[in-house]
Amino acid sequence: MNQFILQQGQSKELQLFPHITEFALKRNNSITLNSFNASLSDCIRFYYVIEGKFEWVIQQQQYVLFPSDLAIVLPGQMLGAEKGFLDIGTLFWLHIRIDPNDPRTNSFLGDWSQVSPGEMITMKKILVLNNMPVISKLKEAGSVFYNLQNEILKQELGFSTRVNQLLDELFILITRQLTRQNNSHRDFPQTFLKLEETLRKNLSHQWTVEEMAALVGLGTTAFNEKVKNFTGFSPLNYLINIRISEAIKLLKRPDVNVTSIALETGFYSSQHFSTTFKKLTGYTPSQFRKNNIPKTNDNGHKI
Amino acid sequence: MATKSDCIITIELGTNAVRVVAFDMKGNSIGSLKGSYPTFHTQPDYSEQDPEQIFITMLYVLKNLLTEQIYPNKNKVVCICFSAAMHSVLPIDKNGVPIGNAITWADNRGKKEGHELNNSPYGKTIYQATGTPIHPMSPLIKIAWLKNHDKEKFTQASKFLSIKSYIIQQLTGEYVIDYSLASATGLMNIHNMQWEPDALAYAGVSSNRLPALVPVFSSPGKLKKEYQTSLGLSSATKILVGSSDGCLATLGAGVWSDDKAVISIEDSGAVRVVGKEVLRDEKRRFFNYILTEDCYVSGGPTNNGGVIFEWFAKQFGDFSKPFDLEFSMESLINEANKVVPGSDGLIFLPYLLGERAPIWNANARGVFFGLNIKHEKQHFIRATIEGILYEIYSIGKILEEHRTIKNLSVHGSFASLPFCTQMIADIFNKPLTLRKNSDSIAYGAFLLSATEMGIYKNLDQAVKTVNLPDVYTPKKQHHSTYMKYFKIFERLSVRLSEEFEDIANLQ
Repeated sequence: MNQFILQQGQSKELQLFPHITEFALKRNNSITLNSFNASLSDCIRFYYVIEGKFEWVIQQQQYVLFPSDLAIVLPGQMLGAEKGFLDIGTLFWLHIRIDPNDPRTNSFLGDWSQVSPGEMITMKKILVLNNMPVISKLKEAGSVFYNLQNEILKQELGFSTRVNQLLDELFILITRQLTRQNNSHRDFPQTFLKLEETLRKNLSHQWTVEEMAALVGLGTTAFNEKVKNFTGFSPLNYLINIRISEAIKLLKRPDVNVTSIALETGFYSSQHFSTTFKKLTGYTPSQFRKNNIPKTNDNGHKI
Repeated sequence: MATKSDCIITIELGTNAVRVVAFDMKGNSIGSLKGSYPTFHTQPDYSEQDPEQIFITMLYVLKNLLTEQIYPNKNKVVCICFSAAMHSVLPIDKNGVPIGNAITWADNRGKKEGHELNNSPYGKTIYQATGTPIHPMSPLIKIAWLKNHDKEKFTQASKFLSIKSYIIQQLTGEYVIDYSLASATGLMNIHNMQWEPDALAYAGVSSNRLPALVPVFSSPGKLKKEYQTSLGLSSATKILVGSSDGCLATLGAGVWSDDKAVISIEDSGAVRVVGKEVLRDEKRRFFNYILTEDCYVSGGPTNNGGVIFEWFAKQFGDFSKPFDLEFSMESLINEANKVVPGSDGLIFLPYLLGERAPIWNANARGVFFGLNIKHEKQHFIRATIEGILYEIYSIGKILEEHRTIKNLSVHGSFASLPFCTQMIADIFNKPLTLRKNSDSIAYGAFLLSATEMGIYKNLDQAVKTVNLPDVYTPKKQHHSTYMKYFKIFERLSVRLSEEFEDIANLQ
């Protein structure tokens, strides 16, 4: 197995792939002090262990990586070895530049990817919400790395397409695995409670059924069916219930205006909020507020 | 006069979900819908629910049921009756706005308060007056906990409601609690239907910080105009305050004479009897709740019902294909069937969640006992189910110190699995009836409403309509096998108390 390190700007192999900032296979036979101190990542990094045992610290948490384990480090996260040097062993790594701009941008991966814009947003959400940077025993990731190595080094017909396909495959593989390991299918109520907490924390986001399903690691058909069985509601109706419950709490406080409540709880507009609210409760939001806040208001706010 | 198209709606504010069921005036179910809401455990021992989410979910489900199943058939709603899970507490401020989430029955934060009160001389007198065992589940203890540990919330609270009281207040504007639900708060005297002064003093509240006490048959007032409009109901629709889930399940299961007991096992479980007298138990192991002024529902609750088998299935069930939990539990039961009664001497104490009746030991833990080299996986499955049902039997056994029970009525998702139903009959050695239409709570609420409307003269007459098919008869030889192991089960449950405490302290 030959080692290699390809770096953007220096290795011609990467010319066609500006999004790959570094790709390497390293066999580390000796210990070099301070060879792997903690540093801030500016791109998304994947490490796949082939041999050896690596003791690392990712975002102040200690992890031990064994063969076939994969580590994911996101932009802005800290990574380093516990003792400051790279342990003895063999590993692949791959650094991909992702669009650091607007989190809602559709091109989070970049134009090279075939992943649809909607799915890209979901993948990003999964990566950002994930708090387990190490996936253990992900042999499939190993095959992707070997195939990448072959395509990039050999440059056979169609290699530029294949390389980007393999990168897509890696992202899909990883995000699917993350949702699987974070959501036990044995315990849908638990999984659903976790989803509910995520929804409540990001209530202003315009959630789609596809996104919610992906977050719990299910296809949309199975997700619809499970949610309906478990809650009695379709996913979107369940979400509307949460939105209105939160809105009611805010309406009972005199210090937030109705338009901000509408947007904060994820309605498109105060009109949309008002219609939905009235349909269910019989009150418009402002009528509801009038009925629940005493007329004399010490803050002097207009009610 | 009731007409053919009239219907009665029952709303059950349950532990995990609201269930709305519509009945015609003969008691046939003509429509039902449910909607679930989550329980939040922000800290160990905490168990809370969002009152606004419960309210909105209830409205949504009710509205959908009406527009999808009731109005298209030209049915007219004449009455809406409520039932609710017991023991919840919701503090509200002077404007009626909830201060944070509601604390549910499963919340254990008041462990220390419960322990202290139980060991004080007041423990006994308060228990005897209120009928509610001194336990963190009880609102008495929860309010005392707020007083001791969350001074700000306690002081800011102008009232402490139950979830049902809050929902009814939202709909009608009135702060009420029925005697039945109030009899599970640990704050109401079950002999004179007044708030109990000693209990109020312990909790640190006066009666004006609690909702008004009313009989289960009373109507708190009309639906607010806005809800009449949005739901398509008229001001003539009667709102009935109703009762608690436990009491109504007992009524709906047809248990109405003192020689019957009702066993309900869902996630948790209970064994209950009904009578005109409270059960006076020196060891304070029973609850005595009120259904109506001359009718007490007494019994003992367990934490460790179907939830324990679900736990087992999650850990050891087959999920290799995209199976869901129900399927996995079904195949486990098929395996358990291959083992003889008594699981060849493997005994399981199911106290994974600590236990209430009859041992009342929050530190109790699960145990597999008697394991030998010949035991296989299926023995564990059978032993788990047997252990859950031995625990139920141990409640029934102490009830028999007070009542002669001739037959049983069984309901609930776990108890009504045929394998479990037969095992209950065998362990108790009593014939039992199973209410197939599992919704005893809704049916109980229907009977209450129909009686209030004059369709039945009284509850005695109403309860005769409960249809009890499906008789399971006990198998004598199985009973004697089970009893051999039960003796050991019973001894272990008591003898291990020191070890339970030690291990609980380490966990």
